[in-house]
Amino acid sequence: MTLYPVFTLALSAILAVILLSAAMHKLRAPQRFRRQLDDYALLPPGSLRVVARIVPALEIALAILLLIPALRVVGALGTALLLGGYAGAMAINLWRGRSDIDCGCSGPGMERPLSAALLWRNGLLVLMALLAALPAHQHPLGGFDLFLILACSLVGLMIYTSVEGLLANRPRLNALQGK
Amino acid sequence: MDANMISHILLWIGLIALALVVVALVRQIGVLHARIAPAGALILDKGVEVNNPAPQVTSADRHGRPVNVGYKGERGQLLFFLSPTCPVCKSLLPTLRSLGKSYRQELEVIYVSDGDHEQQMELIKQHHLEDARYVIGPEIGMTYQIGKLPYAVLIDAEGVLKAKGLVNNREHLESLFEAQAMGVGTLQEYMRQQTAATQ
Repeated sequence: MTLYPVFTLALSAILAVILLSAAMHKLRAPQRFRRQLDDYALLPPGSLRVVARIVPALEIALAILLLIPALRVVGALGTALLLGGYAGAMAINLWRGRSDIDCGCSGPGMERPLSAALLWRNGLLVLMALLAALPAHQHPLGGFDLFLILACSLVGLMIYTSVEGLLANRPRLNALQGK
Repeated sequence: MDANMISHILLWIGLIALALVVVALVRQIGVLHARIAPAGALILDKGVEVNNPAPQVTSADRHGRPVNVGYKGERGQLLFFLSPTCPVCKSLLPTLRSLGKSYRQELEVIYVSDGDHEQQMELIKQHHLEDARYVIGPEIGMTYQIGKLPYAVLIDAEGVLKAKGLVNNREHLESLFEAQAMGVGTLQEYMRQQTAATQ
C-alpha cells in the first residue's frame, strides 16, 4: 500500500513538532519530569536519573529522523513504539488505580490526571506514526503540494493543541462543578 | 490557476484561521479557569475573625529591627507563616517573592518562622530572602494562633484583618493578593456584595 506523499509528510511534520515540544518541556524542567517518572512507579529509583536524561534525547532524535526523508520510516516506527510505550505505562497505572498522578504529557500548567481519554489520544498518535511509516508514491512535489503539507500540518497541530487544552481544562471544570 | 484551486486555497486559509480561533479560545478558557480557582484560602476557626481589627503585636526581625504587626500603616501587611521543615512552604516562596514584588506599593510581605537558627539561615540563603522582613520567633504565631503551615494572614493598611487561611498552592496565595487589590476577603463576601448591589 502506498500513500499520497503529502499525507505522509504532513503526518511526519506533525509528529516531529509534537515530539520536539514534549522534549522541550522535559528538558526545561528536568526535576519535574523526574518526579513524574517516579510517580509512574514503573522504574527502579536508581535508574530515574538516567532515564530522565535519555527520554528527551530519544524524542529529539526521533523528531529529526522523522524529518529526514530517507530515514522517515525508522523515525515513524520508533515514534509509534515510544508513544505506545507511554500508553502502556499509563494503562498499567490506570489498571493499578493510580489515576490521580500527573500524566506528564504536556508542559507546565497543563497537569492532569491519567484517564482513558489519554489512552485514546496516544492510540491515535501511534496510528498516525504507523501511517507515516507506510511507503509513499515517488513523485516530485510541486508548489501546491508544499502549501498543502504546510496547511495540513498547521491545522493538525492547532487541533492537537486545542484538544490538549480542553483535556487539561477538564479536571478544573469538574472541580468547579463540584464533581 | 483555475477557480477550483483558488477556492481550495481559500478554504485552507479559512480552516487555518478557524483552528487559530479555537486554540485562542481554549487558551482563554484555561486562563479563566486559573483565575476562578482561588475561592479564598481555607479558614480555620481559630484566632481573630476576618473583618475585625487584627491583634497588635510587636516583634523583632532577624536583624533586630522592630516589626509592628496589626497597626495602622501606609501599606497593608501579608504575614506568611513558614518553617524550614515544611516543603509546601518552600515551594510557595518563589511565587510569594514575585507577587510581593508586584504588589510592593500596597503590601509588605513579612515572613514569620520559628525554630532552628541554622536551618532558617539556609532557607533564607536558598530562596534569596536576605532583604526580606524575616521574623524568627514565636510571638506573632502565638498571637494569631497559627496551628498549621503554610499559613497566611492579610491585614490592610487600617490594621483590619482582611483574610487568612492555610495556603497550599499558588492559587490560594494569589487569592490573598487579589483580596487586597479588590478589598474583598473571600469569594463568598464578594458574592454577598454583588447580590446586595443588585437588590
